[in-house]
Amino acid sequence: MKICDQFRELIQAYALGALDAEDRAAFEAHLATGCSDCAKTVEEARWLVSQLAYLAPEATPPDMLKGRLMQTVREEARQPRIAAPSKTGIPFWMWAGVAALVVLSLYSALEAGRLRVEIHDANERAAAILRERQQLQEQLAVAKREAMIVTDPASVKIPLAGQDPQAPQLEAKWHSQLGICVMGHNVPMPAANRVLQLWLIPKAPGAKPMPSMTLRPDPDGKLVLLVSNPPESMSETKALAITEEPEGGSLQPTTTPRWVGGVG
Amino acid sequence: MNQRDVSPDATLVTRLLQKDVSSFEQLYDRHSRIVYALVLRILQQASTAEEVVQDVFLQLWRNAAHYDPSRGPFVPWLLTLARNRALDHLRLKSERQRRREDQAEELPPVASAPDYEKALDEKRRAERVRALMTSLAPQQKRAIELAYFEGLSHSEIAAALKEPLGTVKSWIRNGLLRLKEGLQATT
Repeated sequence: MKICDQFRELIQAYALGALDAEDRAAFEAHLATGCSDCAKTVEEARWLVSQLAYLAPEATPPDMLKGRLMQTVREEARQPRIAAPSKTGIPFWMWAGVAALVVLSLYSALEAGRLRVEIHDANERAAAILRERQQLQEQLAVAKREAMIVTDPASVKIPLAGQDPQAPQLEAKWHSQLGICVMGHNVPMPAANRVLQLWLIPKAPGAKPMPSMTLRPDPDGKLVLLVSNPPESMSETKALAITEEPEGGSLQPTTTPRWVGGVG
Repeated sequence: MNQRDVSPDATLVTRLLQKDVSSFEQLYDRHSRIVYALVLRILQQASTAEEVVQDVFLQLWRNAAHYDPSRGPFVPWLLTLARNRALDHLRLKSERQRRREDQAEELPPVASAPDYEKALDEKRRAERVRALMTSLAPQQKRAIELAYFEGLSHSEIAAALKEPLGTVKSWIRNGLLRLKEGLQATT
Protein backbone atom coordinates (compact mmCIF):
# COMPACT_ATOMS: atom_id res chain seq x y z
CA MET A 1 0.00 0.00 0.00
CA LYS A 2 1.28 3.43 -0.80
CA ILE A 3 1.46 5.67 2.21
CA CYS A 4 2.54 9.27 2.02
CA ASP A 5 6.11 9.12 3.23
CA GLN A 6 6.09 12.35 5.18
CA PHE A 7 3.22 11.12 7.36
CA ARG A 8 4.22 7.48 7.64
CA GLU A 9 5.87 8.02 11.02
CA LEU A 10 2.87 9.77 12.54
CA ILE A 11 0.13 7.22 11.92
CA GLN A 12 0.72 4.90 14.89
CA ALA A 13 1.05 7.77 17.37
CA TYR A 14 -2.00 9.48 15.87
CA ALA A 15 -4.13 6.40 16.48
CA LEU A 16 -2.73 6.23 20.01
CA GLY A 17 -3.61 9.89 20.60
CA ALA A 18 0.00 10.74 21.43
CA LEU A 19 0.73 13.37 18.78
CA ASP A 20 1.42 16.88 19.99
CA ALA A 21 -0.86 19.60 18.65
CA GLU A 22 1.38 20.68 15.78
CA ASP A 23 1.98 17.18 14.41
CA ARG A 24 -1.64 16.32 14.92
CA ALA A 25 -2.87 19.39 13.04
CA ALA A 26 -0.52 18.68 10.14
CA PHE A 27 -1.61 15.06 9.91
CA GLU A 28 -5.31 15.89 10.14
CA ALA A 29 -4.88 18.49 7.43
CA HIS A 30 -3.36 15.74 5.28
CA LEU A 31 -6.27 13.40 6.06
CA ALA A 32 -8.67 16.20 5.14
CA THR A 33 -7.27 16.11 1.63
CA GLY A 34 -8.89 12.70 1.27
CA CYS A 35 -5.84 10.44 1.33
CA SER A 36 -7.53 7.04 1.39
CA ASP A 37 -4.30 5.11 2.00
CA CYS A 38 -3.53 7.01 5.18
CA ALA A 39 -7.18 6.87 6.31
CA LYS A 40 -7.21 3.10 5.89
CA THR A 41 -3.92 2.70 7.75
CA VAL A 42 -5.23 4.85 10.59
CA GLU A 43 -8.28 2.60 10.92
CA GLU A 44 -6.06 -0.47 11.21
CA ALA A 45 -3.78 1.31 13.64
CA ARG A 46 -6.81 2.08 15.82
CA TRP A 47 -7.53 -1.64 15.99
CA LEU A 48 -3.92 -2.31 17.00
CA VAL A 49 -4.05 0.39 19.69
CA SER A 50 -7.28 -1.09 21.09
CA GLN A 51 -5.38 -4.32 21.76
CA LEU A 52 -3.31 -2.47 24.38
CA ALA A 53 -6.33 -2.77 26.68
CA TYR A 54 -5.17 -6.33 27.37
CA LEU A 55 -2.16 -4.91 29.22
CA ALA A 56 -4.51 -3.88 32.03
CA PRO A 57 -4.39 -6.25 35.02
CA GLU A 58 -7.39 -8.55 35.02
CA ALA A 59 -10.26 -7.31 37.18
CA THR A 60 -13.85 -8.33 37.75
CA PRO A 61 -16.59 -5.71 38.11
CA PRO A 62 -18.75 -6.06 41.24
CA ASP A 63 -22.05 -7.89 40.83
CA MET A 64 -23.91 -4.84 42.09
CA LEU A 65 -22.74 -2.88 39.04
CA LYS A 66 -24.52 -5.31 36.77
CA GLY A 67 -27.57 -5.19 39.04
CA ARG A 68 -27.76 -1.41 38.83
CA LEU A 69 -27.25 -1.42 35.07
CA MET A 70 -29.88 -4.06 34.44
CA GLN A 71 -32.36 -2.21 36.66
CA THR A 72 -31.85 0.98 34.63
CA VAL A 73 -31.99 -0.86 31.32
CA ARG A 74 -35.19 -2.71 32.22
CA GLU A 75 -36.82 0.53 33.31
CA GLU A 76 -35.86 2.23 30.05
CA ALA A 77 -36.98 -0.76 27.99
CA ARG A 78 -40.45 -0.44 29.52
CA GLN A 79 -40.71 3.22 28.68
CA PRO A 80 -42.07 4.41 25.33
CA ARG A 81 -39.44 4.98 22.68
CA ILE A 82 -38.12 8.50 22.55
CA ALA A 83 -37.12 9.78 19.16
CA ALA A 84 -33.43 10.47 18.74
CA PRO A 85 -32.59 14.13 19.02
CA SER A 86 -32.59 15.91 15.72
CA LYS A 87 -29.29 17.00 14.30
CA THR A 88 -30.79 20.44 14.03
CA GLY A 89 -30.29 20.64 17.80
CA ILE A 90 -26.57 21.14 17.23
CA PRO A 91 -25.68 24.80 17.46
CA PHE A 92 -25.45 26.56 14.13
CA TRP A 93 -22.03 27.95 14.91
CA MET A 94 -20.67 24.44 15.19
CA TRP A 95 -21.82 23.56 11.69
CA ALA A 96 -20.55 26.89 10.46
CA GLY A 97 -17.20 26.05 11.96
CA VAL A 98 -17.10 22.73 10.16
CA ALA A 99 -18.08 24.36 6.89
CA ALA A 100 -15.37 26.92 7.35
CA LEU A 101 -12.90 24.14 7.94
CA VAL A 102 -13.81 22.48 4.66
CA VAL A 103 -13.41 25.69 2.69
CA LEU A 104 -10.14 26.56 4.34
CA SER A 105 -8.85 23.02 3.83
CA LEU A 106 -9.09 23.55 0.12
CA TYR A 107 -7.36 26.88 0.39
CA SER A 108 -4.63 25.96 2.85
CA ALA A 109 -4.08 22.57 4.49
CA LEU A 110 -2.14 24.14 7.31
CA GLU A 111 -4.84 26.69 8.06
CA ALA A 112 -7.47 23.95 8.03
CA GLY A 113 -5.51 21.96 10.56
CA ARG A 114 -5.29 24.90 12.92
CA LEU A 115 -9.01 25.58 12.63
CA ARG A 116 -9.84 21.98 13.29
CA VAL A 117 -7.93 22.07 16.55
CA GLU A 118 -9.96 25.10 17.59
CA ILE A 119 -13.19 23.32 16.74
CA HIS A 120 -12.08 20.36 18.80
CA ASP A 121 -11.61 22.69 21.75
CA ALA A 122 -15.05 24.21 21.21
CA ASN A 123 -16.59 20.75 20.96
CA GLU A 124 -14.92 19.75 24.19
CA ARG A 125 -16.39 22.72 25.98
CA ALA A 126 -19.82 22.14 24.44
CA ALA A 127 -19.76 18.47 25.39
CA ALA A 128 -18.79 19.34 28.96
CA ILE A 129 -21.66 21.84 29.21
CA LEU A 130 -24.13 19.30 27.82
CA ARG A 131 -22.97 16.66 30.28
CA GLU A 132 -23.31 19.10 33.16
CA ARG A 133 -26.80 20.11 32.03
CA GLN A 134 -27.86 16.49 31.74
CA GLN A 135 -26.56 15.78 35.24
CA LEU A 136 -28.47 18.77 36.63
CA GLN A 137 -31.66 17.66 34.87
CA GLU A 138 -31.28 14.18 36.31
CA GLN A 139 -30.70 15.58 39.78
CA LEU A 140 -33.76 17.80 39.43
CA ALA A 141 -35.90 14.86 38.32
CA VAL A 142 -34.75 12.82 41.31
CA ALA A 143 -35.43 15.71 43.70
CA LYS A 144 -38.93 16.20 42.26
CA ARG A 145 -39.70 12.53 42.63
CA GLU A 146 -38.45 12.50 46.22
CA ALA A 147 -40.61 15.52 47.00
CA MET A 148 -43.69 13.86 45.48
CA ILE A 149 -43.14 10.69 47.50
CA VAL A 150 -42.65 12.64 50.73
CA THR A 151 -45.68 14.91 50.29
CA ASP A 152 -48.20 12.53 48.70
CA PRO A 153 -50.80 11.41 51.29
CA ALA A 154 -50.87 8.01 49.58
CA SER A 155 -47.29 7.32 50.69
CA VAL A 156 -46.86 4.95 53.65
CA LYS A 157 -44.59 6.19 56.42
CA ILE A 158 -42.06 3.65 57.73
CA PRO A 159 -39.94 4.69 60.74
CA LEU A 160 -36.53 3.00 60.72
CA ALA A 161 -35.27 2.59 64.27
CA GLY A 162 -31.51 2.58 64.86
CA GLN A 163 -30.23 -0.61 66.49
CA ASP A 164 -27.60 1.51 68.23
CA PRO A 165 -29.27 3.78 70.82
CA GLN A 166 -26.99 6.61 69.69
CA ALA A 167 -28.05 6.32 66.06
CA PRO A 168 -30.65 8.80 64.75
CA GLN A 169 -34.01 7.46 63.63
CA LEU A 170 -34.50 7.37 59.88
CA GLU A 171 -37.76 7.55 58.02
CA ALA A 172 -38.87 5.94 54.78
CA LYS A 173 -41.92 6.77 52.71
CA TRP A 174 -43.17 4.19 50.24
CA HIS A 175 -45.42 5.19 47.39
CA SER A 176 -46.81 2.31 45.37
CA GLN A 177 -46.17 4.05 42.04
CA LEU A 178 -43.31 6.47 42.73
CA GLY A 179 -40.99 4.32 44.84
CA ILE A 180 -39.31 4.51 48.22
CA CYS A 181 -37.59 7.54 49.73
CA VAL A 182 -35.39 7.07 52.82
CA MET A 183 -34.35 10.17 54.74
CA GLY A 184 -32.31 10.98 57.81
CA HIS A 185 -30.14 13.56 59.52
CA ASN A 186 -26.93 13.33 61.55
CA VAL A 187 -26.25 9.91 60.07
CA PRO A 188 -22.74 8.72 60.99
CA MET A 189 -20.40 8.34 58.01
CA PRO A 190 -19.51 4.70 57.25
CA ALA A 191 -15.85 3.71 57.34
CA ALA A 192 -13.71 4.33 54.25
CA ASN A 193 -14.59 2.03 51.35
CA ARG A 194 -17.90 1.17 53.08
CA VAL A 195 -21.41 2.22 52.13
CA LEU A 196 -24.92 1.98 53.54
CA GLN A 197 -27.17 -0.45 51.67
CA LEU A 198 -30.96 -0.74 51.79
CA TRP A 199 -32.58 -4.19 51.95
CA LEU A 200 -36.20 -5.25 51.44
CA ILE A 201 -37.07 -8.14 53.76
CA PRO A 202 -39.75 -10.33 52.12
CA LYS A 203 -42.69 -11.73 54.10
CA ALA A 204 -42.35 -15.15 52.49
CA PRO A 205 -40.80 -17.60 54.97
CA GLY A 206 -37.20 -18.39 54.09
CA ALA A 207 -36.99 -15.74 51.37
CA LYS A 208 -33.66 -13.89 51.30
CA PRO A 209 -33.39 -10.12 51.74
CA MET A 210 -33.56 -8.26 48.42
CA PRO A 211 -30.54 -5.97 47.84
CA SER A 212 -31.34 -2.40 46.90
CA MET A 213 -29.48 0.89 46.51
CA THR A 214 -26.26 1.92 48.25
CA LEU A 215 -25.12 5.37 49.31
CA ARG A 216 -23.15 7.41 51.81
CA PRO A 217 -24.56 10.38 53.76
CA ASP A 218 -23.30 13.81 52.76
CA PRO A 219 -20.59 15.49 54.87
CA ASP A 220 -23.31 17.08 57.06
CA GLY A 221 -24.79 13.67 57.83
CA LYS A 222 -27.84 14.17 55.63
CA LEU A 223 -29.07 11.00 53.95
CA VAL A 224 -31.60 10.85 51.12
CA LEU A 225 -32.04 7.64 49.16
CA LEU A 226 -34.50 7.16 46.31
CA VAL A 227 -35.48 3.71 45.11
CA SER A 228 -37.43 4.50 41.98
CA ASN A 229 -38.33 0.94 41.13
CA PRO A 230 -38.77 -1.31 44.19
CA PRO A 231 -38.48 -4.95 43.06
CA GLU A 232 -41.32 -6.16 45.34
CA SER A 233 -44.72 -4.74 46.06
CA MET A 234 -45.39 -3.38 49.53
CA SER A 235 -47.73 -6.22 50.48
CA GLU A 236 -44.97 -8.78 49.97
CA THR A 237 -42.42 -6.90 52.08
CA LYS A 238 -42.16 -7.36 55.82
CA ALA A 239 -39.53 -4.76 56.63
CA LEU A 240 -36.85 -2.41 55.37
CA ALA A 241 -33.34 -2.66 56.76
CA ILE A 242 -30.08 -0.80 56.27
CA THR A 243 -26.67 -2.39 56.72
CA GLU A 244 -23.11 -1.26 56.23
CA GLU A 245 -21.48 -3.05 53.28
CA PRO A 246 -18.29 -2.90 51.20
CA GLU A 247 -18.21 -0.28 48.47
CA GLY A 248 -20.29 -1.46 45.52
CA GLY A 249 -22.79 -3.22 47.77
CA SER A 250 -23.44 -6.90 48.51
CA LEU A 251 -25.81 -9.51 47.20
CA GLN A 252 -26.60 -10.62 50.76
CA PRO A 253 -26.16 -8.66 54.00
CA THR A 254 -22.71 -9.16 55.53
CA THR A 255 -23.33 -7.13 58.68
CA THR A 256 -26.07 -6.76 61.27
CA PRO A 257 -28.67 -4.15 60.26
CA ARG A 258 -28.06 -0.69 61.70
CA TRP A 259 -31.65 0.41 61.03
CA VAL A 260 -34.84 -1.65 60.70
CA GLY A 261 -38.45 -0.66 60.13
CA GLY A 262 -41.57 -2.81 59.70
CA VAL A 263 -43.73 -2.28 56.62
CA GLY A 264 -47.45 -2.01 57.25
CA MET B 1 -25.24 -4.47 7.80
CA ASN B 2 -23.32 -6.51 5.28
CA GLN B 3 -21.98 -10.02 5.70
CA ARG B 4 -18.50 -9.01 6.75
CA ASP B 5 -19.12 -9.32 10.47
CA VAL B 6 -21.74 -11.80 11.60
CA SER B 7 -20.11 -12.41 14.98
CA PRO B 8 -22.29 -13.03 18.03
CA ASP B 9 -21.48 -9.48 19.12
CA ALA B 10 -22.77 -8.01 15.87
CA THR B 11 -25.99 -10.00 16.20
CA LEU B 12 -26.45 -8.93 19.81
CA VAL B 13 -25.82 -5.26 19.01
CA THR B 14 -28.36 -5.44 16.21
CA ARG B 15 -30.94 -6.74 18.70
CA LEU B 16 -30.17 -3.82 20.99
CA LEU B 17 -31.82 -1.60 18.41
CA GLN B 18 -35.09 -3.32 19.37
CA LYS B 19 -34.26 -2.65 23.04
CA ASP B 20 -33.71 -6.33 23.73
CA VAL B 21 -32.65 -6.48 27.39
CA SER B 22 -31.39 -10.05 27.12
CA SER B 23 -28.95 -9.11 24.34
CA PHE B 24 -27.66 -6.25 26.47
CA GLU B 25 -27.09 -8.61 29.39
CA GLN B 26 -25.19 -11.04 27.15
CA LEU B 27 -22.97 -8.25 25.81
CA TYR B 28 -22.29 -7.13 29.38
CA ASP B 29 -21.42 -10.66 30.47
CA ARG B 30 -19.10 -11.12 27.48
CA HIS B 31 -17.15 -7.89 27.75
CA SER B 32 -17.60 -6.21 31.14
CA ARG B 33 -14.42 -7.76 32.58
CA ILE B 34 -12.03 -6.32 29.98
CA VAL B 35 -13.89 -2.98 29.95
CA TYR B 36 -13.74 -2.76 33.75
CA ALA B 37 -10.09 -3.83 33.83
CA LEU B 38 -9.18 -1.14 31.27
CA VAL B 39 -11.12 1.64 33.00
CA LEU B 40 -9.80 0.65 36.43
CA ARG B 41 -6.23 0.66 35.09
CA ILE B 42 -6.74 4.19 33.77
CA LEU B 43 -8.58 5.66 36.76
CA GLN B 44 -6.97 3.61 39.56
CA GLN B 45 -10.09 3.95 41.72
CA ALA B 46 -12.81 1.30 41.89
CA SER B 47 -15.78 3.56 42.62
CA THR B 48 -14.97 5.94 39.76
CA ALA B 49 -14.25 3.04 37.44
CA GLU B 50 -17.68 1.56 38.20
CA GLU B 51 -19.29 4.90 37.38
CA VAL B 52 -17.50 5.11 34.03
CA VAL B 53 -18.19 1.47 33.12
CA GLN B 54 -21.86 2.06 33.89
CA ASP B 55 -21.77 5.12 31.65
CA VAL B 56 -20.11 3.14 28.84
CA PHE B 57 -22.67 0.35 28.85
CA LEU B 58 -25.60 2.75 29.14
CA GLN B 59 -24.15 4.60 26.16
CA LEU B 60 -24.11 1.30 24.30
CA TRP B 61 -27.71 0.60 25.33
CA ARG B 62 -28.97 4.02 24.34
CA ASN B 63 -26.87 4.55 21.20
CA ALA B 64 -26.35 1.09 19.73
CA ALA B 65 -27.24 2.48 16.32
CA HIS B 66 -23.95 4.39 16.29
CA TYR B 67 -22.03 1.14 15.98
CA ASP B 68 -21.96 -0.17 12.41
CA PRO B 69 -20.87 -3.84 12.36
CA SER B 70 -20.01 -3.61 8.66
CA ARG B 71 -17.24 -1.11 9.37
CA GLY B 72 -15.28 -2.97 12.05
CA PRO B 73 -15.41 -5.43 14.93
CA PHE B 74 -17.33 -4.59 18.09
CA VAL B 75 -14.80 -5.13 20.87
CA PRO B 76 -12.21 -2.58 19.66
CA TRP B 77 -15.05 -0.08 19.25
CA LEU B 78 -16.25 -0.74 22.79
CA LEU B 79 -12.73 -0.59 24.22
CA THR B 80 -12.08 2.70 22.44
CA LEU B 81 -15.33 4.09 23.83
CA ALA B 82 -14.35 2.96 27.34
CA ARG B 83 -10.82 4.38 27.05
CA ASN B 84 -12.15 7.72 25.80
CA ARG B 85 -14.64 7.96 28.64
CA ALA B 86 -12.04 7.05 31.26
CA LEU B 87 -9.47 9.50 29.88
CA ASP B 88 -12.14 12.22 29.68
CA HIS B 89 -12.84 11.58 33.34
CA LEU B 90 -9.15 11.70 34.16
CA ARG B 91 -8.68 14.87 32.15
CA LEU B 92 -11.70 16.64 33.61
CA LYS B 93 -10.57 15.69 37.08
CA SER B 94 -7.09 17.04 36.62
CA GLU B 95 -8.28 19.91 34.40
CA ARG B 96 -5.40 19.30 32.08
CA GLN B 97 -5.87 20.24 28.47
CA ARG B 98 -4.69 17.23 26.57
CA ARG B 99 -5.57 16.62 22.96
CA ARG B 100 -6.30 13.16 21.78
CA GLU B 101 -7.06 12.02 18.30
CA ASP B 102 -10.70 11.17 19.03
CA GLN B 103 -11.41 13.40 21.98
CA ALA B 104 -13.97 15.64 20.32
CA GLU B 105 -16.17 12.81 19.14
CA GLU B 106 -19.07 11.51 21.14
CA LEU B 107 -18.52 7.95 19.95
CA PRO B 108 -15.36 6.27 18.67
CA PRO B 109 -14.34 6.29 15.02
CA VAL B 110 -13.92 3.16 12.96
CA ALA B 111 -11.24 0.63 13.88
CA SER B 112 -10.78 -1.76 10.97
CA ALA B 113 -9.63 -5.23 11.87
CA PRO B 114 -6.59 -6.37 9.88
CA ASP B 115 -6.59 -9.74 8.16
CA TYR B 116 -4.70 -11.37 11.02
CA GLU B 117 -7.39 -10.39 13.56
CA LYS B 118 -9.11 -13.75 13.42
CA ALA B 119 -5.89 -15.78 13.68
CA LEU B 120 -6.22 -15.96 17.47
CA ASP B 121 -9.21 -15.98 19.77
CA GLU B 122 -9.51 -13.09 22.20
CA LYS B 123 -7.87 -14.87 25.12
CA ARG B 124 -4.83 -15.99 23.14
CA ARG B 125 -4.51 -12.63 21.47
CA ALA B 126 -4.51 -10.97 24.91
CA GLU B 127 -1.72 -13.32 26.03
CA ARG B 128 0.21 -12.57 22.85
CA VAL B 129 -0.18 -8.81 23.31
CA ARG B 130 1.13 -9.05 26.89
CA ALA B 131 4.06 -11.22 25.82
CA LEU B 132 5.00 -8.93 22.95
CA MET B 133 4.83 -5.81 25.08
CA THR B 134 6.84 -7.45 27.85
CA SER B 135 9.57 -8.16 25.31
CA LEU B 136 10.06 -4.40 24.78
CA ALA B 137 12.61 -2.42 26.76
CA PRO B 138 11.02 -1.28 30.04
CA GLN B 139 11.21 2.43 29.15
CA GLN B 140 9.73 1.76 25.71
CA LYS B 141 6.83 -0.18 27.21
CA ARG B 142 6.38 2.56 29.81
CA ALA B 143 6.18 5.22 27.08
CA ILE B 144 3.39 3.35 25.30
CA GLU B 145 1.54 2.77 28.57
CA LEU B 146 1.75 6.47 29.45
CA ALA B 147 0.19 7.31 26.09
CA TYR B 148 -2.51 4.66 26.20
CA PHE B 149 -3.49 4.54 29.87
CA GLU B 150 -2.79 8.16 30.86
CA GLY B 151 -3.45 9.96 27.58
CA LEU B 152 -0.07 11.71 27.50
CA SER B 153 1.35 13.21 24.30
CA HIS B 154 4.86 12.67 22.93
CA SER B 155 6.24 15.78 24.62
CA GLU B 156 4.50 15.03 27.91
CA ILE B 157 5.95 11.53 27.91
CA ALA B 158 9.42 12.89 27.09
CA ALA B 159 9.13 15.22 30.07
CA ALA B 160 7.81 12.47 32.36
CA LEU B 161 10.59 10.05 31.42
CA LYS B 162 13.29 12.73 31.05
CA GLU B 163 14.17 11.41 27.61
CA PRO B 164 14.65 13.26 24.27
CA LEU B 165 11.46 13.82 22.30
CA GLY B 166 12.84 12.01 19.25
CA THR B 167 13.65 8.96 21.35
CA VAL B 168 10.12 8.82 22.71
CA LYS B 169 8.64 9.11 19.22
CA SER B 170 10.82 6.24 18.00
CA TRP B 171 10.00 4.09 21.02
CA ILE B 172 6.28 4.45 20.50
CA ARG B 173 6.31 3.98 16.74
CA ASN B 174 8.70 1.04 16.77
CA GLY B 175 6.96 -0.55 19.76
CA LEU B 176 3.58 -0.48 18.05
CA LEU B 177 5.06 -1.74 14.78
CA ARG B 178 6.66 -4.60 16.70
CA LEU B 179 3.32 -5.40 18.28
CA LYS B 180 1.72 -5.40 14.83
CA GLU B 181 4.42 -7.64 13.37
CA GLY B 182 4.19 -9.97 16.34
CA LEU B 183 0.44 -10.36 15.92
CA GLN B 184 0.84 -10.78 12.16
CA ALA B 185 3.35 -13.55 12.75
CA THR B 186 0.64 -15.64 14.41
CA THR B 187 -1.17 -16.09 11.11
